[in-house]
Amino acid sequence: MNRNLNKTIKYSLIKICLIPISLLIISSLVFLLLRIAPGDPVDAILGSGATLEARETLRANLGLNESIISQYFTFLKNLSHLNFGDSLSNQEPVIQIIGKSLPASLELGFVSFVFAILLGFPLGYLGLKNKEKNLDGISRIIGISSYAIPPFWGAMMAQLLFSVVFRIFPIGGRFPIFDEQPSITGFIILDSLLTNNFSSLAGALYHIALPSLTLGFLLSGVFSRSFRLNLEKSLQSDFVEAAVCRGINDRNILYKYALPNALIPILTISGVTLASLAGGALLIEITFSWPGIALRLQEAIFQRDYNLVQGIVIVTSFLIVSLNLIIDILIAFFDPRIKY
Amino acid sequence: MFFQNNFKDYKFFIFLFLLIFINFSCSNKNNSGKITLASSGKIESLDPARVNTIKSLQIINSLGDTLYELSKDGQLIPKLALGRPSFSEDKLKIFINLREDVFFHDGTKFDSKAMKFTINRFKNIGTTNYILGNKIKSIETPSKYKLVINLNMPSSSIEGLLTSPNLTPLSPDFYKDFNNKFLNDEFVGTGKYILKRFSNEVQILEPNVNYWGIKPKNKGIYIVGYANSNSLYGALKSKQIDVLLSNSIDDSQRDKLRKLSDNYKIKEGRSSPNEISFISLRTNKKPFNNLNIRRAIAKSLNRKLISEKVSYGLRQPSKSIIPSIFKKDKIAFWPSYNTEEAKKILRDEGFCNGKILNLPLTYRSNVPTDKLIALSWQKDVNASMDNCLSIEINGLESTTIYKNLSEGIYTAVILDWVGAYSDPEAYLKPLLSCKEFKGAICFKGESVFSGSFWASQEVENLFKESESLYGIERLNKLIKIEKIASESIPYIPLWISSQKAWSQKYISKPIFNGAGQIIMSELNNINE
Repeated sequence: MNRNLNKTIKYSLIKICLIPISLLIISSLVFLLLRIAPGDPVDAILGSGATLEARETLRANLGLNESIISQYFTFLKNLSHLNFGDSLSNQEPVIQIIGKSLPASLELGFVSFVFAILLGFPLGYLGLKNKEKNLDGISRIIGISSYAIPPFWGAMMAQLLFSVVFRIFPIGGRFPIFDEQPSITGFIILDSLLTNNFSSLAGALYHIALPSLTLGFLLSGVFSRSFRLNLEKSLQSDFVEAAVCRGINDRNILYKYALPNALIPILTISGVTLASLAGGALLIEITFSWPGIALRLQEAIFQRDYNLVQGIVIVTSFLIVSLNLIIDILIAFFDPRIKY
Repeated sequence: MFFQNNFKDYKFFIFLFLLIFINFSCSNKNNSGKITLASSGKIESLDPARVNTIKSLQIINSLGDTLYELSKDGQLIPKLALGRPSFSEDKLKIFINLREDVFFHDGTKFDSKAMKFTINRFKNIGTTNYILGNKIKSIETPSKYKLVINLNMPSSSIEGLLTSPNLTPLSPDFYKDFNNKFLNDEFVGTGKYILKRFSNEVQILEPNVNYWGIKPKNKGIYIVGYANSNSLYGALKSKQIDVLLSNSIDDSQRDKLRKLSDNYKIKEGRSSPNEISFISLRTNKKPFNNLNIRRAIAKSLNRKLISEKVSYGLRQPSKSIIPSIFKKDKIAFWPSYNTEEAKKILRDEGFCNGKILNLPLTYRSNVPTDKLIALSWQKDVNASMDNCLSIEINGLESTTIYKNLSEGIYTAVILDWVGAYSDPEAYLKPLLSCKEFKGAICFKGESVFSGSFWASQEVENLFKESESLYGIERLNKLIKIEKIASESIPYIPLWISSQKAWSQKYISKPIFNGAGQIIMSELNNINE
């Protein structure tokens, strides 16, 4: 175990050292792609009616008349000081904009992930428990349809049904407009708990429910299908058979032998799911007007706000790379078969 | 064999979860008496020097007053000014007397120095300060309530410019640290409402109890932004909002809203039409360097059909690039739809009979209406202009199009325009004016940025002459400019749209001013 732990630490350190290199490659690519893409922030800010002088003045003020090489080195220099610069469209520091939008996305992502697990695991479990019965069929249909439904369509249908037709949930937004939202960390649910403001908590939960249930449902299929398959495989394995022969009761076999082994491959899938979560969040945020980082990124791309796009991509990449690293470490820690 | 039956526990929790949310959805109502108004997108700033989106300008119009305002019938009404401006004999000085009973939201008094501060601030840092066009030389404040604007050249359009929300006076005391930078999340003006809370998504306005004029009819306004048309439509339909104000609503949903309004289920208010949609033709290269071909193309555009197919007839087909509110006689000069004449012109130019003129038409892919316009026109041309004309459509994101317009990349492109201030010049100059040109080709100037590259010495002369004229004489000059343009066809006007708003049955009908801005203070709950 000690030897494996040392190797895990060594592996983790190598991966951590690789993060800045990954981020440098990602940020350089984003920098380059944004400059190659047609359109520039001046046109996005001023529109098509501005005069040549107004355009030139704004271009100079934004530093866009310098050569791309010069802009790139300035960008790298600022990046080394963790300075993403100011938004080109509203002159607000990029880090502040990210600070305002990121908690909304993380909150939505976390709650959706929890819903995906709460929905996916029981579905997979019920399907396996009722193998070849009606419930198994229902579980399979729900599982398959959850990842077959295009996220934008699923979100629109959810909004139409639960917000417009049944009027159970709000149509969009993150918090009731009539109330003052608590602001300590930017995570409204957490802030409501920290301030013991249960009215705010109810308001925040009420608003997050539909987008997170929708995103959670769309992600749950991956969990239900893989949980069902891995648990079934685990229950048919030799060590479970040996445990049965040793007279260990069913409950213990399920929870102590089969389940932990079935969960390790799912941990691997979680890493991939996190990346799809980031992609799915964009469509959910647009549909439900959720003021998160994905919606902000979309707006920044339309406005050709180079600094903001670069900042958001780098921070999001850092989060995904870091979370994947944590998952890698956890897998290496829990699965003795993994060797480095 | 390994499983136990515990599904009933889940049923209980699911039931409890739904019960909590149904209960909360019933209790989460607006009890403040304020009106909830939804619009599309978010607000980045409420600094008049920075804003250029219709939504932000709408809010600033409620939070502040301008010197003048345009009435619904196009008349200039003094607001913070006392009467119409007077001009010096050489037309290089404008004298404006100001109201003496006006206070800013911070309690300081509005005077000529505040106006000077505001205009100079916009001149220095304003994002759209190009609309001033180097017209203003300096500002003088001979007395507390008298303002003198010195001009670099005679400019009759300055009156219209003074209606611009970008020149909404700000409290110099409050903005003293923001003379050279924007203040995005606060606003201290003189308007009917005070900004109570600001975030990018939600703004709360409360009535200004010390307002100098008629006070708002409501207890305040919640303004909320939604990211898409479906949410806006759904929010009004499910009564989660009281008023919907947006031009970003899809035309199919506008049509449904109109039907609801016709059945008295909601109320619809509209402004005078002020947003023109047109097709810009690149006149400096083949094939549109040939006026006859431009004329043939203009005659192939069936505005009525496109309006009916794309907007369900909700957008008014137009053969003019100046909104009718500015014209007294409403004359439109551009060529009418006539496919027989179009075919004859093309035949005379050597097309038809096996040689088809191919028109590459670019549209903004992020504007759903543009794609439908392009498709409808293409289909109609295929049906009615066979063997003479075909249209090849190509969608690009709007930012890309704006960037490339001046590069002369697009042969024909669908665009729209709303004047930055209430004046016909705000529609003509951005499309037709040119600084450097040779013959009918513009090398540098506004028409390059509009993608037409068209120029005319006569038009430039008329622009110049119009600056020193007023009233009907000036209007006639501007209309003459439009007539010249309609004969040269650098653009083909398609339709003209109004700003629209819809309110619930229990709210009064939304009313707009002449500049297309909703008058929020007139909204009220008629059941109260």
